[in-house]
Amino acid sequence: MEDFSKKYNMSDEELFSVIDHNDLESEKITAPRYSYWKSVFRVFFRNKVNIVVLVCLAILVAFAYIYPTVIGYDPQVDPFVNIADTGALHLSPQKAIDHFGFELKWIFGTGGTGASTFNSIWNGSRISISLAIICAAINMTIGILLGAIWGFSRRVDIIMNEVYNVLGNIPSMLITAVLVMIFSPSFWTLVFAMTILGWMGMAYYIRTRVIIIRDHEYNLASRCLGTNIFKIALKNILPFMTSVIVLEIAAAIPGYISSEVFLSYIGLGMSEASLGRLIYEAQNAMVTPGWGWEFWTPVAVASVITVVLYVTGQNLGDASDPRTHM
Amino acid sequence: MTKYVLKRLLHGAVSIILVVTIVMLLVYGLMDRTKIFVTDGNYNKQVNNNRVTYRYRRWEDFGYLDYVPYADYINELARNGELDEESRNEAVTIGRADDGSNDSELAAQYIKQFTDEYTAKGYTVTRLKAVVVRNKLADGGQPALFAYKDNSLLKRLWTYFADLFYIDNIHYVPDDVDIGKRGLTFTLYDPLKVDPETGAKKFSPAIIGNGTMNKYLLYFNDKFPFIHQNFLTIHLGTSFSVTQGVDVFKTMTQSQGSWTQSMITYPTGNTTLSADDLHTATYAAGSLESNPLNAGKFVDDYTNVSAVRVSMSRMGFSFLIGIISTILVYVIGLPVGVLMARYKDGILDKVGTVYIMFISAVPSLAYIFMFKGLGRAMGLPVTFDMDNTTKLMYVLPIVSLMLPSVASMMKWMRRYMIDQMNSDYVKFARSTGMSETGIFFKHVMKISAIPIVQGIPGSLLFAMTGALITERVYLVPGAGGLLIDAINQYDNAVIVGVAMFYAILSVLSLILGDVLMATVDPRISFTDKAR
Repeated sequence: MEDFSKKYNMSDEELFSVIDHNDLESEKITAPRYSYWKSVFRVFFRNKVNIVVLVCLAILVAFAYIYPTVIGYDPQVDPFVNIADTGALHLSPQKAIDHFGFELKWIFGTGGTGASTFNSIWNGSRISISLAIICAAINMTIGILLGAIWGFSRRVDIIMNEVYNVLGNIPSMLITAVLVMIFSPSFWTLVFAMTILGWMGMAYYIRTRVIIIRDHEYNLASRCLGTNIFKIALKNILPFMTSVIVLEIAAAIPGYISSEVFLSYIGLGMSEASLGRLIYEAQNAMVTPGWGWEFWTPVAVASVITVVLYVTGQNLGDASDPRTHM
Repeated sequence: MTKYVLKRLLHGAVSIILVVTIVMLLVYGLMDRTKIFVTDGNYNKQVNNNRVTYRYRRWEDFGYLDYVPYADYINELARNGELDEESRNEAVTIGRADDGSNDSELAAQYIKQFTDEYTAKGYTVTRLKAVVVRNKLADGGQPALFAYKDNSLLKRLWTYFADLFYIDNIHYVPDDVDIGKRGLTFTLYDPLKVDPETGAKKFSPAIIGNGTMNKYLLYFNDKFPFIHQNFLTIHLGTSFSVTQGVDVFKTMTQSQGSWTQSMITYPTGNTTLSADDLHTATYAAGSLESNPLNAGKFVDDYTNVSAVRVSMSRMGFSFLIGIISTILVYVIGLPVGVLMARYKDGILDKVGTVYIMFISAVPSLAYIFMFKGLGRAMGLPVTFDMDNTTKLMYVLPIVSLMLPSVASMMKWMRRYMIDQMNSDYVKFARSTGMSETGIFFKHVMKISAIPIVQGIPGSLLFAMTGALITERVYLVPGAGGLLIDAINQYDNAVIVGVAMFYAILSVLSLILGDVLMATVDPRISFTDKAR
């Protein structure tokens, strides 16, 4: 053993002092500080791809939500529609720039009304993204809440299983299509049609997860110690579900955009000029030589939007799994 | 097991009834009725009172209500002999005013009788006064009197399910019609297979009915499934606007395309080049006398025949494309998923993951069009043509249909294999010195077969219903397009029929999946005791 008093040239009394025993202090366990959400973002930003994806997302959101407002876009009025100018219809980008002179809005050419495809696309994106987010919010909220109750209560489980066995057999596409047909095809009709049975899949998924985690020993112990069921749900079970919920949302939002595009394509979309509606209206233009731009640009933008949203969600989902926080 | 399947079938039946009820409620109850006139060109040509009566006639055709015009009522009375021709003409003429002030005495009497009778039955009786312009009847302005009553949901459901199955019997033809001896005849030599020149009979059993709806109740021919029956007919709902007057089930199952003509020997002995399929003959009252064309061909009133057509039915096309693409999904998706797991983080895994991400994220419409463009660039036919015999036209629809399913199969298989490879039994097998290939074929594959087998009926169903978009993009005359056509044309009966059809298919495929799973996995038992 080293002789500290010699090394520092101090006496033992100067070097050491007696500390009283403290019950409170002795109970403290020293562990590295861990904050869940901080770790989520640390893991998320560790992957440099995510920064690129986030920048893309920011650009897309800016164009979809800010750009139409800044230019005061209205699909019905001049100068955004040039229906009277017969030379301005169905132009390819090159021709549009030759016709109008170079401006950002002509880089995708013009559509059947002589409107700038660029403007229509961003306006349509705003409607489609909003639709997807609203549908996802409603379905996920109902799905998670109902799924949690469904998983926790055995009595509810019996009833809900019967309901699920019956309603689960209905092809969802059928109900959506019939509902869209019945009500006037507006934005909120489509939200209604996509959410009336849309929560079901999520609720069943959450129910199964809850049942798996519910009967683990630590939850049994927690219940024995008198923790109430809401606290168990909130503190013991929800943290396990965060990452699966984020992953589900990540898959759902592009899914809703995809269904909207599909419904519009078969003529059951909404009356607002969404992305799907643009694609539907440009269907015939696709086969006309030289008019392809007005069909392919909305398709491409829709694909970019869905891919960016999907990748962001997937990676955020991975990052929110505590097992990746090591 | 039988008990379990029966229980599931009962559940399924409840869901099917519920689906039909929901769809009927939605279609007949919630939809704005005037919508059916939006695309109706005739409606806008009608004016004044004619427009009103046209509206009610159409609503009756679409199944919303029961509509009885006064003239029909009087004509019915005349047919029953209560009125002679002269008084019929007088009674059927109603006055211009709607309060009955200029009706003749006889008309007033019958109008009152009509009103009382139908009001008592719960009908609403409406009388429209004549629209007069400068003392002359305006165009379409004739006075009108009619009664109508909305069909109730319960009655509609009851009639729907009561009419679902029709069992053919010898009392189909009304008993007061003289049709000769009624009954079923069993013959070993189908009369239609007799060689017209030599008179040689050919062995081909058939059951022929007289007094039934179909003449041939059971027969053999050279078309799949070779044996055909007409004892049981399924009615899913008669179309009004999509395929006028034809039942949904028949629309789904009858062959399509252009006629195939061949030399046909009719019952009278005449032989001509025709596409008539005499096996499909059904009864049409009085058709032998009323149509001079039939006299040269037929000897009885079973004259209503359908044509032999060159192509498969809607179901046939959907099923063929669905089955091939499902097989390909398993043939491609499974090994690729396994290899991705085996060489995790290798080049195949990376490419596969990008593909899975692409398919999950990009709207299905977008990638189907991308592949359509790619196919066109490769010189493949991009539209379906029933009269064309080239098999190449099937390539793109099949490929488009399997794209999403292959991705989910790969994703699932990769995940599953990675989990299995880290499980205890695989680690144990590895520690005994077994090779990775051996472990895979001897252990993992057997276990993974269970969920795979369970999914097969479901993926077949998905291939059929999920074909909506591919069928539209490539103009495939399959079953998927029927629903969209019906919705676009507000053909209510077809919507209900197609809903029923899909509900039956999905219930059956779910049950079949579970039964298959129980057969391959000895650990799963559905009997109560085992639990």
